[in-house]
Amino acid sequence: MTTAKFKVNRFWSIVLTFIVVYALIKWGIPAASRSITALPFPLSVPGTLMFIYMMLTLVALFLLVTFSDEYMAEFLGPVKKFLAGGYGKIPRLLVLVAVPLIAGWQVYELTVPKVELPSSLRIQHPSSNFPKTFEALKNPFANPTTDEVQAFLEQAEANEVSFIPQVQADIDAWMDMTEPEHVLSFIPTKPMQKFLDQLDAGSVDDEIAKSALIEKHLFEGRALYAMNCRPCHGDSVAGDGPMADGFKLRPINFTDNGTIETIVEGYTFWRVTNGGPGLPVEATPWDSAMPEWKLNLTEEERWKIILAEYDLAQKTPRIPETH
Amino acid sequence: MRFGGLKHSTATRHRLSGVVQFVVMSILVFCWVLILPSTVFAAAQPTKPKPAATPELIEEGKVIYFKRCSFCHGLLGDGNGPAADFLDPRPRDFTLGTFKFRTTQSGELPTDEDLFRTVSRGLTGTAMQAFDSDLFKNGLTEEQRWAVIYYIKTFVPEFEDPDFDPYQYLIEVPDPGSMPAVNDESVAKGREVFEKAKCWECHGELGRGDGQEAFDRTDDWGFPIRIRNVTHPWKIKAGDEVKDIYTRFTTGINGTPMPSFIEGVPEAKDRWYLATFIKSLQHKLTTHSVLKAKLVEGDLPDSPEDEIWRSAEPMDIRLTGQVVAAPRWQNPSIELATLRAVYNENDIALMIHWDDPFKDVTHNGDAEFNPADISKVGAFNSYVNPNDTVPRQLETFRDSIALQFAVKPLEGTKRPHFLRGDSSNPVHLWIWKSDLSEQNGRAVEEANARGWKQAHKVQDEEQHQVSSNAVWDKGRWSVLMKRPLTTEDRNDVQFNKGQFIPVAVNAWDGSNGEHDMVMSLSTWHYIFLEAPTPISVYIYTLLAVLVTGALGFWLVRKAQAENTFG
Repeated sequence: MTTAKFKVNRFWSIVLTFIVVYALIKWGIPAASRSITALPFPLSVPGTLMFIYMMLTLVALFLLVTFSDEYMAEFLGPVKKFLAGGYGKIPRLLVLVAVPLIAGWQVYELTVPKVELPSSLRIQHPSSNFPKTFEALKNPFANPTTDEVQAFLEQAEANEVSFIPQVQADIDAWMDMTEPEHVLSFIPTKPMQKFLDQLDAGSVDDEIAKSALIEKHLFEGRALYAMNCRPCHGDSVAGDGPMADGFKLRPINFTDNGTIETIVEGYTFWRVTNGGPGLPVEATPWDSAMPEWKLNLTEEERWKIILAEYDLAQKTPRIPETH
Repeated sequence: MRFGGLKHSTATRHRLSGVVQFVVMSILVFCWVLILPSTVFAAAQPTKPKPAATPELIEEGKVIYFKRCSFCHGLLGDGNGPAADFLDPRPRDFTLGTFKFRTTQSGELPTDEDLFRTVSRGLTGTAMQAFDSDLFKNGLTEEQRWAVIYYIKTFVPEFEDPDFDPYQYLIEVPDPGSMPAVNDESVAKGREVFEKAKCWECHGELGRGDGQEAFDRTDDWGFPIRIRNVTHPWKIKAGDEVKDIYTRFTTGINGTPMPSFIEGVPEAKDRWYLATFIKSLQHKLTTHSVLKAKLVEGDLPDSPEDEIWRSAEPMDIRLTGQVVAAPRWQNPSIELATLRAVYNENDIALMIHWDDPFKDVTHNGDAEFNPADISKVGAFNSYVNPNDTVPRQLETFRDSIALQFAVKPLEGTKRPHFLRGDSSNPVHLWIWKSDLSEQNGRAVEEANARGWKQAHKVQDEEQHQVSSNAVWDKGRWSVLMKRPLTTEDRNDVQFNKGQFIPVAVNAWDGSNGEHDMVMSLSTWHYIFLEAPTPISVYIYTLLAVLVTGALGFWLVRKAQAENTFG
């Protein structure tokens, strides 16, 4: 019989499965986490979660074993034979001595006071105190009104566009040096260049003007991000800024799929506004270095930063559910 | 009965092979997962030949530069972007054509590959981060990096001039495989080179950057030189490997007083030895966050240089700039403090040391800056400008360190906020001040804080119970602080055995302009005083052994009985 060659005894296949699952959780997931998060350290599976996974595996294997009497008998056969001394008395004695010792060791390990902090599971996106008023908030700079677009168009036509003060000096220096025809031409992105072409030709499409205005907001948002957020969240919004290494709770990596993509803009705004101190207990606010930005940044500045943050991370916020 | 006999139906056999398949697949996945991390952190070398610098590619580079680089380096490449004023070192002004990290002779331009390396892996410890898309999902691809490099080169007219072509001034970087490894012998030889080439004149005897007595050197851009502490690998800008260090000696760092040693140390092998010596100085960080205090018999030490500290477990605490609340500070000088603790029946002694190249022991309160203007909503920036807002010079501000403890014992995981606690969770601060220490007075001020929004409250003089002793030697402060384990004061931390006692560090380097909230800080770590093992542990253990043993015995009896009768 050809299949006989590959036959693995059911007893051992069960034991082996259990070991492989354990190894995957214990070493496989932390190893995989490094390549997924690109962080320089592995994220290990917390003990409680490990326990749950192993219990589930045990239950699944139990179901498999008790699926039929035949299977059960085949699984228990070697066990019974071993206990009856069918595989020799010395191995049996060794196991009978080793098992109680291992049990004792485990109980000792569990009960002895340890110099090791109990790990606490932290909820990254707590919403227990997320005010409903924030839920439906929309980023005003992502979708400017017709009036705003019109005002911008008038500014652009007069070649007198106003910027936030933080970027003004750099633009002025650039103007002095390059003496451009239009102040906005320092923005080399396609929507802006198209807008400038149309402006030159004397007829500007509303949609083009709108996307050019968003480009200007993005530019200001990126500058504010670089000044305020980059020290921790990093140039590449990967949570790895030059200040990040000193914090136990690392700054969030926005390029991760589980972060700003899974939340509505209003939530992001609320987090930026109230920072660590605004978090509920389940999110360990005492470990969060996130500032309460409402103390230093205006609402406009916070929204512009959020616009740039999503753009830098190449993510879009979740759409709020309509009730 | 034979196991795996012929009685199986085909259905069960299929199920069985399913299990086997699952096991084999799991092992394969597991192995694949294990090798992944090593491939993620690839070398910062191009994998393909570099593309031609076409106008289209340069145009693409311009857009990337605008989006990713201009906020520090400026629209004109002059290092004057909106974020630049708040950074030290400042972003590079490309227009001057002076580039620090090259594989070309001192004073020459960098090769394209040098720029590629810098853009790909960044300059550790500065705001110039890695831009390699293998490291970050939205980093730059190899082609994008070339595009932006070609655009950056348009800021530097010298790149057009064949006389300055960097490829004629290349310096050979040996293959590490053909050079001596880091071992006692190469390190000892490197130490000799270190002595002979007088590296210590600037970098200090132990490499802590403490060789100079004043900031009397500036770089080409007019900023005072802060000499690198080479023992902190996370501050070594262009790579901390032997090969990188070798390249720095050999090429020098353009624009700074760091010269090329290609003539001073002519033999490549000697420079390699020197690099292995520097590599051997690099500190290896401990990773635990709970410090086990050591129980000692008899008196506790009075000096931070006492022999007993050698046998006490160290815990490294990483510090970073105070960026949580205005005034924010992203140019901290102290990024590591190491804590040790010993205790006896009555007292506890904590010893903390950190590197600081200058001993600043005076304090001029009038020079402190008023943060009100930059702390308002809508202020230009809530970060401190290191070149303008605070005086970063000698003899102005004191060096200082504060140990911060939670006043209340831990309940679950709840703690005060790591920055000075919060309204319902006060912290206890032990603030050691170098100027007071120098005057031989009581150098540790005890204070309480409930959040950073209000200044901390200094306790009454008679409640000050922490004594201290400090030494500054070869670019390192070592400070011992001692106190009874418990006190009567309910605003004080109490060191009870068997409890995790949260501790955090605030640190100030006076000559870096640091005072008040312009400081380095850490998040929570813990001190633990071991309690004797309770007797119940042994009882439970014994019970477990007996019950399991009895169960095994019973099973054997049962199996044997079945065997006999079956």
